[in-house]
Amino acid sequence: MDRDVLDKSIVLCRSCDLVVRKRALPSGVRALCPRCNSYLYDTPYCSINGMLALCLAALALYFPANFFPVLELHFLGSVRTTTIFGGAMSVADQGYWVVAIAVLTAAVIAPGLLILSVLLQVLIVKYQLHNPFFRKIYKGFLCQHNLISQLSMLEIYMISIFVSVFQLSDYTDLYFGIGTFCFTMLFIVVIFLQREYDIEHMWSVLNEYK
Amino acid sequence: MSTSNTSAQGQRLGLTCCPTCTNLCQTQNKTCPRCGQEVTSRDYSSIQKSWALLITAAILLFPANLYPITVMTSQGQVRKDTIFSGINHLIQLDLLPIAIILFTASILVPMLKIIGLCIYLLAISFEVPISKRKLMAGFHIIEWIGRWSMLDLFVISITAALVNMGQLFDAKPAPAATAFALVILLTQLAAKVLDTRLLWDRLESNDDRT
Repeated sequence: MDRDVLDKSIVLCRSCDLVVRKRALPSGVRALCPRCNSYLYDTPYCSINGMLALCLAALALYFPANFFPVLELHFLGSVRTTTIFGGAMSVADQGYWVVAIAVLTAAVIAPGLLILSVLLQVLIVKYQLHNPFFRKIYKGFLCQHNLISQLSMLEIYMISIFVSVFQLSDYTDLYFGIGTFCFTMLFIVVIFLQREYDIEHMWSVLNEYK
Repeated sequence: MSTSNTSAQGQRLGLTCCPTCTNLCQTQNKTCPRCGQEVTSRDYSSIQKSWALLITAAILLFPANLYPITVMTSQGQVRKDTIFSGINHLIQLDLLPIAIILFTASILVPMLKIIGLCIYLLAISFEVPISKRKLMAGFHIIEWIGRWSMLDLFVISITAALVNMGQLFDAKPAPAATAFALVILLTQLAAKVLDTRLLWDRLESNDDRT
């Protein structure tokens, strides 16, 4: 069997190992496994320049979102603010470092790594793909991508802010800061970035220079 | 969707798909030609790993639900809330939508995950005849919804950071927070580690074939 023909004509289901013959798909349609309904493949759609723009926007928003307060609490004249990082730290101060690490990873570290990794991938694809050293780095990023994107949970943090607001609004006055705005924008930009990003396409870029 | 050769397992053709980059590989190669990671047709030890993680999570579920998760001080009165009493309190405050969100994220999801994964693992280990399509549908739901349990931890970290005014008004995490964080982590890992292709190696009912 010719390996190249093999690669293009069939696909294996990751969840149930069924052999499925590949067909051309219209854009925006996903192929699901006919036996277990797991996701198989879709038409890779991914514009490198669009991703670069989204990455830069996300990077610009990332720092204010993390360093400006996301919530402000006014209670009997005293004002308390907190950042995402501050929230994790205050839990760690109480001795609950498992919780603190979980919060930090899901809301600060993983999204940051995700943005940075996609940015570097895009830059390598655009300018340095012919260089074997950078190709190796690129490969490393792609291998880690699934893990990082699973760990990043901005959307859940977003809902948590609203839940806390509702919970606390009975006791005190709450205000949103500039950090809330930046965080919301970051969350939206990252959603679009993840929509635009297609790991299959990024892998296939690697083959073109072989 | 079409399958030309119905219910052919990739294993029988000596093919497998790389767990890291989903490239189609030949089983005899041992490593994936595209990303260089190891490939195996089936990961039989994954059942053991998954069972171990799941049982640990199930044990931790008891402290997570029985011990208080937050300690709230309001005007000198100290209230220790378990996950359940906290939700109960929200219902009394007429915050029903928030109560439902928190109930789903912190009680329903972890329990359903543990029970669901248990059924799944039993079906693989002891060949319990349950429709595989239903099991797989359940598994997809478990994988997708699992991360939403993080909501509770985020809320705790935001509240603890904002509300710290000594005897007047104070919120702190309590021991169950760590147990709860570990339950989330372990159940997520148990689902991720499991090789779902093992379930589909025995196809006994007509319903499973397509």
